[in-house]
Amino acid sequence: MRIEGQYSFDGPREVLWELLRDPKVLAACLPGTQSMRQVGEREYEGEIGVRVGPISGAFAGQLSVTNEVPPASCTLTVEGKGKVGFLKGIGNIDMTDQGQGKTLMKYTGEVQIGGKVASVGQRLFDSVSRGMIEQALGKLNEQLQARASSR
Amino acid sequence: MRKLFDLDLKVNGTRHEQAVEPRTLLSDFLRHDLGLTGTHVGCEHGVCGACTVLLDGEPVRSCLLFAVQAHGHSVITVEGLGAIDQLHPVQEAFRQAHGVQCGFCTPGILTTVVAFLAGNPDPSEEEIREALSGNLCRCTGYQHIVDAVQLAAQNMKTAHEQPAR
Amino acid sequence: MTKTLIGQRVLRNEDPRLLTGQAQFVDDVEIPGLLHAAFLRSDHAHARLLGMDVSAARQRPGVVAVFTAEEMGDDWQPGPPLVSPPPTAKDVLFYSRRQVPLVKDKVRHAGEAMAVVIAESRYIAEDAVEDIVVDLEPLEAVVDLEKALQPGSHLVHDDLESNLAAHLFQKKGDYEAARRQADLVLRRRIVIDRGAAAAMENRGIVAQWDEKSQHLTVWDTTQAPIPIRNGLAARLGLSENQVRVIAPFIGGGFGPKMMMFYPEEMLIPWVAKKLKRPIKWIEDRRENFYATTQERGQIHDVEIALSRDGHILGLKDVFLHDTGAYDPYGLTIPLNTQCHAMGPYDIKNYSTEVSVVFTNKTLVTPVRGAGRPQGIFVIERLLDAAAKELGIDPVEIRKRNLIPADAFPYEHGIIDQAFSPLILDSGNYWPVMQKALDMIGYEKFVREEQPRLRKEGRYVGIGITPFIESTGVGPYEGARVTVEASGKIHVATGVGTQGQGHFTTFAQVVAEQLGVAVGDVRIVSGDTAEFHWGTGTFASRGAVVAGNAIHAAASIVRRKVLELASKQLQTPQEELELEGGMARVADIPDKSISLGELASLANPLRGAVEPGTEPGLEATSYFGPRYGATAFGAHAMILEIDPETMMIEIKRYVTVEDCGTVLNPLILEGQIHGGVSLGIGNAYYEKLHFDENGQLLNASFADYLIPSATEMPRIEVGHMETRSPLNELGTKGVGEAGTIPVPALFSQAVENALADRELEILESPLSPNRLYELWSGKEAR
Repeated sequence: MRIEGQYSFDGPREVLWELLRDPKVLAACLPGTQSMRQVGEREYEGEIGVRVGPISGAFAGQLSVTNEVPPASCTLTVEGKGKVGFLKGIGNIDMTDQGQGKTLMKYTGEVQIGGKVASVGQRLFDSVSRGMIEQALGKLNEQLQARASSR
Repeated sequence: MRKLFDLDLKVNGTRHEQAVEPRTLLSDFLRHDLGLTGTHVGCEHGVCGACTVLLDGEPVRSCLLFAVQAHGHSVITVEGLGAIDQLHPVQEAFRQAHGVQCGFCTPGILTTVVAFLAGNPDPSEEEIREALSGNLCRCTGYQHIVDAVQLAAQNMKTAHEQPAR
Repeated sequence: MTKTLIGQRVLRNEDPRLLTGQAQFVDDVEIPGLLHAAFLRSDHAHARLLGMDVSAARQRPGVVAVFTAEEMGDDWQPGPPLVSPPPTAKDVLFYSRRQVPLVKDKVRHAGEAMAVVIAESRYIAEDAVEDIVVDLEPLEAVVDLEKALQPGSHLVHDDLESNLAAHLFQKKGDYEAARRQADLVLRRRIVIDRGAAAAMENRGIVAQWDEKSQHLTVWDTTQAPIPIRNGLAARLGLSENQVRVIAPFIGGGFGPKMMMFYPEEMLIPWVAKKLKRPIKWIEDRRENFYATTQERGQIHDVEIALSRDGHILGLKDVFLHDTGAYDPYGLTIPLNTQCHAMGPYDIKNYSTEVSVVFTNKTLVTPVRGAGRPQGIFVIERLLDAAAKELGIDPVEIRKRNLIPADAFPYEHGIIDQAFSPLILDSGNYWPVMQKALDMIGYEKFVREEQPRLRKEGRYVGIGITPFIESTGVGPYEGARVTVEASGKIHVATGVGTQGQGHFTTFAQVVAEQLGVAVGDVRIVSGDTAEFHWGTGTFASRGAVVAGNAIHAAASIVRRKVLELASKQLQTPQEELELEGGMARVADIPDKSISLGELASLANPLRGAVEPGTEPGLEATSYFGPRYGATAFGAHAMILEIDPETMMIEIKRYVTVEDCGTVLNPLILEGQIHGGVSLGIGNAYYEKLHFDENGQLLNASFADYLIPSATEMPRIEVGHMETRSPLNELGTKGVGEAGTIPVPALFSQAVENALADRELEILESPLSPNRLYELWSGKEAR
């Protein structure tokens, strides 16, 4: 299924770009993250707890970042596996400078899910994933404002 | 070693005290711990209604309750409604109207209907269908079940019997 | 002479047990020392199994064993082929691939079983399933039927050249010649999608191996206990007499419980024998959606050739049939579709070609209707399209094409699912349709009510659909009838019972012959220890085939009773009657003897027995029809659509059924009601959604919508009786009749309701969402 949207950040692109590569920041922002670590140049691994309707469980996931055009765009590829199913996703992030210290991030992606989370939670997946993304970007924005102001 | 809970409840008028795991479902407790296999499990996600029992007189999904949630309460299952040689008026009506085919959904429907008629002794067909909408049946198409409920309501009105022991 | 019991609305013998929760279903079986099984099932629809680590699962307290395909060694065998392709058909291509006990190298559908955990409770077993670490390499899933057959598609079975599982071409007459004569040729593409049987009881097995007596007992939610017994014995290296399979009360069958040698059925008895402990496995609802068979997926490219006055000159159908990951059930469903795509019509030229396709989805085996609904859907949609095109009334065009009453037995000449040439034994089609029209007030509705309602801006439509249903197929069934010393009658037969009232209808057949009360006839069905020859309950054949075997056996017992009574009472047989459990002289009621006494006399402890006689008052008989009897009927309905929500309300639903002699009208009505409810589900509420990865997206009752009491209308059932010449009782089957015409009828009524949009519905199932798409894609006239 398709996931797309946009978010307006209160900070410059360059700082946002840095934050997106920091596993500690990612761990703090993504709801349900139990652990996150960098295992390669642009590779990350982690565990995240997910709840989609009546289904909840932990996913072990890998995230890799490719096609980097700093500080404008990149591609994220995610693969997660757990007792409640699996997930594969690929998404593009585009960030443009809006002036006045604001950044507009646009994201589009394709996600495939399988297992219990698909067969029982599919109907809710759209709203749950949007909710998680909104929450994550909100927290990221907070982090961005904190770091930007400390400069 | 799993920590057990000392469950104490009444089922069909009989007091039961038993140590159970907190995660044991009420449906499993009734069926396998107490051997009351009349209550059936159709989906375990609370939609089909086959597992319906009366908790303090109210119909509940026993597949969505832990046995420990019934601690200190009173449960009535289909076995508590009537016996083979002395059917409850609702059970008798189901027999007369051919409201049973495979019988799997039947116990959940009987408990639902008993509680329903206690609160609405003179229902319209629309009200009956609404009351039954939480019980799925794949065999009957519901028509004879509705007939049975109408017949039961009629018979019980004329007989003024107590709905449950 | 007593009033006949055949055709009486006798209340059911089995009800008191079912109503008081005293009937035993498989999950009610409790055995000391029982262990419980849970399965690890694949999340992926298509994947290579690279490895599995079950060590953590084995170490969990309470876990007794964990088995994978490896541990089974040489005992790991795919299931046996259940139905071979018809030997009587020409040029059949068939690649047999059957389901396996546990995945060995490749997962072929989501939900396929990869490992089984045996533990002290189901709770612990499920916990241990999550301890298993499995390494799967996902492969691209084969889901779309047409893409599956394209060169370069991934293969469900790597040892085959393509995903083609089977191919069969059949013809009657010369379609191409007919086409050349036609005034109108219509072509359509019709797509039908999968639905589930969704019986309220999920599957389950309890297996107990007794090492001391070397005997295996299996309780199984099966419609076919005898073939299961025979197959298990073969698989486990046992004599058939060492195995007893019991199908106790079953909470609904509807077809998938006729599928045999499911992975769990092959595995659980093997585990029981290996561990020498009784094992229970009960399917949960989610497993049922993945691991219990389904049906209906087909894509038809059809062509119909007609004359200007609406006569069908010929029909051509090229279709794909989705068989899922394996094809144990042969060509049964597509053959039914081929045989029913001509409907009840006199079609002299017919060409039908099916390609059966493997996909990475759950197996397909018959679900109530078993391919017949698809055939009826095709012909009825075509006739409606033709009627519109030619400007002929939809009722009239059907009337012109119905097989006339004097044309029976009508030979179609193509091969049916029982491998015999398709012959419609008897029929009287137009009166049935006429009756349905009268019951629903068709004329009046179309002339007066509908125009009035339309003026009010309401969307109300009417439809009428005639259909045929092949029933009562062989090979055979058998029964044993015994008069006991108590005077009660004991009957044993091999077919199982899943709610269709065999305990009563069969008892009526016996009571009719022996003059006893229906309640004094005890039927035992579905226990191989009681009767072990036969096949099972499927294809609307239980009452016809087993019923006639019981009738034959009871007739022989009747003869024996009269012979013995005649000797005892010293009265000629012609002057005797059987009534109230007694044999007595017609006008001297005091000269009588009870059946129980006679039974004792027939089995003496002393004295001489005449040579050539058998002890007791007992007979065993078998019945195998020459071919299946074809029942028929017509359904009509009036429905209203709310154009804002696309929710429908069925205002009237009428069925007229002709299934020959009716054994018990009360039970018959129940079967019709239930069949229609499944049909309405098939038409508008139920569809199994598989995504492009073979993931089933609605594997729960929250998302797979089964009609509830508020969706179902009252169904008015009319009868006609055209006796079948194929059996003594004159009866035909009716178990699937309620389901078969519903999607076709539904589409017709919806088109009629939304006439101003000139919709053409060529797909099934619909849904409120889908109907909205179709409706809003069209402008109002």
